[in-house]
Amino acid sequence: MKLERVTAIIVKESQEIVRDRLFFSLAFLVPTVLMMLFGFGLSFDVEHIPFVLVDRDNSSLSREYSHKFISSRYFDLQGYAKNENELDSLLITNRIRAVIVIPEHFETDLLAGRPAHLQTLIDGTFPFRARTTIGYVTAINAAATMEVLATFLSQRQGIPLQDAARSLQPVRLDVRYLYNQSLKSIWSLAPKLLMVILMISPPFLTALGIVRERERGSIYNIYSSTVTRGEFVVGKLLPYVGISILNGLVLWILATRLYGTPFKGSMLFFLFALTLYVVCTAGIGLVVSVFVHTQTAAMIATVIITVIPAVLYSGVLIPIASLTRGSQVIAHLLPAMYFTNIVLGCFLKGVGFEALRNDILILAGYACSLFTAGYLFFNKRPSE
Amino acid sequence: MGEAGSLISRAQNFSCEGDGAVVRVSDFRKLYGKKLAVSGVTLDIQKGMIHGLIGPDGAGKSTLMKAIAGVLSYDAGEVEVFGVPVVSEQSAERVKPHIGFMPQGLGLNLYPDLSVEENIDFFARLRLVPAHDLAARKQRLLAITRLEKFRDRAMKNLSGGMKQKLGLVCTLIHQPALIILDEPTTGVDPVSRRDFWTILADLLKEGNVTALISTAYMDEASRFNQISMLYQGQVMASGKPESILALIPGSTVRLRAIPQIQAVARLGAEFSQVDPFGDELRVFVEDGSGEAAIQRVRELLTGIEVSEITASEPDLDNVFLELLLRREQSQGRSAPLPSGAPPELETERSIAIEARGLVRDFGKFRAVDNASFRVPQGEIFGLLGANGAGKTTVIKMLTGILQPTDGEGWVAGANLHSVGRGIKEHIGYMSQAFSLYRDLSVRENIRLYAGIYGLSRREMKARAEWIIAMADLSGRETELAGRLPMGLVQRLALGCALVHRPRILFLDEPTSGVDPLGRQRFWDILFQLSREERVAILITTHYMSEAERCDHLALMSAGKVIADGSPAELKAAVEKAAGKTLEIRTDRPVATLEQLLEKGFEDAALFGNKVHLLSSKPEADEQSVRTILSGAGIETHSIRTQPLSMEDVFIYRVTQVEKQQLARQEEATQ
Repeated sequence: MKLERVTAIIVKESQEIVRDRLFFSLAFLVPTVLMMLFGFGLSFDVEHIPFVLVDRDNSSLSREYSHKFISSRYFDLQGYAKNENELDSLLITNRIRAVIVIPEHFETDLLAGRPAHLQTLIDGTFPFRARTTIGYVTAINAAATMEVLATFLSQRQGIPLQDAARSLQPVRLDVRYLYNQSLKSIWSLAPKLLMVILMISPPFLTALGIVRERERGSIYNIYSSTVTRGEFVVGKLLPYVGISILNGLVLWILATRLYGTPFKGSMLFFLFALTLYVVCTAGIGLVVSVFVHTQTAAMIATVIITVIPAVLYSGVLIPIASLTRGSQVIAHLLPAMYFTNIVLGCFLKGVGFEALRNDILILAGYACSLFTAGYLFFNKRPSE
Repeated sequence: MGEAGSLISRAQNFSCEGDGAVVRVSDFRKLYGKKLAVSGVTLDIQKGMIHGLIGPDGAGKSTLMKAIAGVLSYDAGEVEVFGVPVVSEQSAERVKPHIGFMPQGLGLNLYPDLSVEENIDFFARLRLVPAHDLAARKQRLLAITRLEKFRDRAMKNLSGGMKQKLGLVCTLIHQPALIILDEPTTGVDPVSRRDFWTILADLLKEGNVTALISTAYMDEASRFNQISMLYQGQVMASGKPESILALIPGSTVRLRAIPQIQAVARLGAEFSQVDPFGDELRVFVEDGSGEAAIQRVRELLTGIEVSEITASEPDLDNVFLELLLRREQSQGRSAPLPSGAPPELETERSIAIEARGLVRDFGKFRAVDNASFRVPQGEIFGLLGANGAGKTTVIKMLTGILQPTDGEGWVAGANLHSVGRGIKEHIGYMSQAFSLYRDLSVRENIRLYAGIYGLSRREMKARAEWIIAMADLSGRETELAGRLPMGLVQRLALGCALVHRPRILFLDEPTSGVDPLGRQRFWDILFQLSREERVAILITTHYMSEAERCDHLALMSAGKVIADGSPAELKAAVEKAAGKTLEIRTDRPVATLEQLLEKGFEDAALFGNKVHLLSSKPEADEQSVRTILSGAGIETHSIRTQPLSMEDVFIYRVTQVEKQQLARQEEATQ
């Protein structure tokens, strides 16, 4: 390995990246833009669900019951409706996402000790949101039912209302959320976005950088000279690894400053893990570049190879534990999951090498095998 | 490392010995997938030679060169460079320090965003050239190539000729003993091309460096010491240009005949190569010395008015074509063109295309500057110029694809400014890329074009038959266009451009990369179209030799039409102003060149083993050259005058324009 040749390649590559406006913006702007777009656009918090009430009973008890929904921060009352026919157009135009229908004789049934049936209509086009909405409805309904029961009990047995409520709920649930006390989804999303973006951008740049030379024909300068495979691979990849580390830091700043995600871990450990991860993902680009001949093919291949595992098999949308058995196996075979553990550990849990040793070792193994594969497949005397 | 070290000393020893082959190739064979690209090639390249590989696209030139440079594996045979068999990546690494390789494509191996100097430095550092050597070499090479002024200019802002020279500098920066240049002159303007050969000859004159250079231009053959002609992966002939000429003895008879079309028909039945060059006919007569050949031609043409008949030595084009024809064992000429539309009754020589002061700007860049010319019905009109001269832009304006920035133009009587789409019914246009759909079959392509031009079902059927017969495609109607050989693709594209029987045909570099046989057939078709159906044809080309086939030529350079006339007129004008070419053969060509340059023959240039110079007084100059050479102790073998080539004309015109501009600039500054 001759240092002079490696630096020659590094210098040339960096000059080209800096001067090629399109490539430069691909390298530096795209990651930041992605972070902004997804950070602001992709929120898993379901609040302020627009809904409409149909109150057929119009009694004091039905009004009291509806108030539970109206005063909740999870629901936004859009108005009252007389009959269900009006609702269709509202639901279709997405002006409301839920309807709560209180039946006739709601009050009389309840006071007579008969069960009352409440109807809810929920827009099911987005199952995640629908499921969350049902959760809210169920919880609010349970609380309201409890109150009705407690009132009923205290009146029948002549005991104070608090005592009645206490006796109705022998086991009380106390929840404390750890690591993300206010359950803000952006706190967990921002570090995961950092993982996703650094899964996509480095291989994209690396593969383009190498295939661009092959497509133009300047790769023959490498083939026909005495530069060794190792020198080429190292010289070609280092600039992209460098750029990606810089991007990692920019994303870190966005996550902590713009989105206010706490960073509880060690910066030194994070930098180390970041470098390892970026080397690993750049290695994916190296391997892709061996098999494709055009920049278009390189782009399509890297996007397919990186976006799917980064989004589906990394725990960004669905926790790994909730995946099917087969999907879990796939997730364990891909690097994204391990770096998700690392970023969540670093940002939210404040754990370091001790807790994340396995993830680090697996990523290191990944980087080594990708580079070995790239090195072995790259041939200075190819057959076409 | 130890191995590489011993090789360096071996290579040096080798160069001290001073004889034997630098490259030895035997029974070379290469497949791409299942497709055989090169087979059974055997080749020896001697030290200090400039060895040329000549052949059309797809002949296997690049494959062979890459294998010799050690950047491509092959399937069978032996490749030995500096005595080292190149069989694996390891063994290839051993010869690479001594090889300079420039791949095909103008400037494509350079880095567009890096400056001239940064490009050179990168190549030097890859090759571990020590800093002080680099400085000295860079100085010298930049001076020779006159790129010094542009050290800091980004490569992407260089002209084609400058890119090519920079490529050469980068290839030579580590002082290789063998340089391999793949089509270094394709697409470069003629002035830069000539410049390139001069520089190369200058750099290689010490004879320590061996060069392997490929080209698609047959007229560059005289630049080489040795040539190998490649066709479809095989060597057709190999040796000195003179000995290849001697392979097929004969002569080229040039004549004018009226009516030309009958003369072509009669001669075509007898001879395999009968080519109309504007008004002139050129016939290759085998086995005949000058007078006998003329006699045979005259006998065949009894009853036809023949004038200006002369015989000369054939050129390599004729020999190569003859070799190909023999190999194909074909009948030579394609079947006569099936007759299409009967020529419409029209006023004789009505003007089909007229351009008056056409200008087109792209931003600040003026691509076409005040271009004027007229093309009558039935004429083949050539626009000749290098890449970037503005030829395609002119065609795009005339076909209504681009609006002219300024100036007037009429096509089929319609003004360019007022009619946009209307013109298109009267014209056929075949673009550089052949504009076919590669994934459609031959018939589907024809049907598509017929549909675009709104032909009825019956018309379409008739035209499809005509196109398939014209392009020799019968039996291949269901093949995909992308799978056809270049020559057929080109004729199919021509057929599609003719599907609606246009009266005017625009062809944008239709013959680039097509093999000589395909080109000859293509020109046969054009000739018949223009003579029998009186279609006006505007064609662009950068092949200088091909331009001579046109009836009328406009030379374009930097957006301007710098000369306009029939090929013969253009040549006569330059001959009157500058004289003829003297070809000088001596025992020491390099020393001859140096002597002549020293004694004031400024345009003397090395052509392989010969020296060429332009002379307005051939007899007097021949005498003074003989005196100079014998004074220097150089033995003169022969001095002959040669007719000017179209390249000579072009270069003369361009340099004249440049001189005028320079003079005007100086006037302006004073």
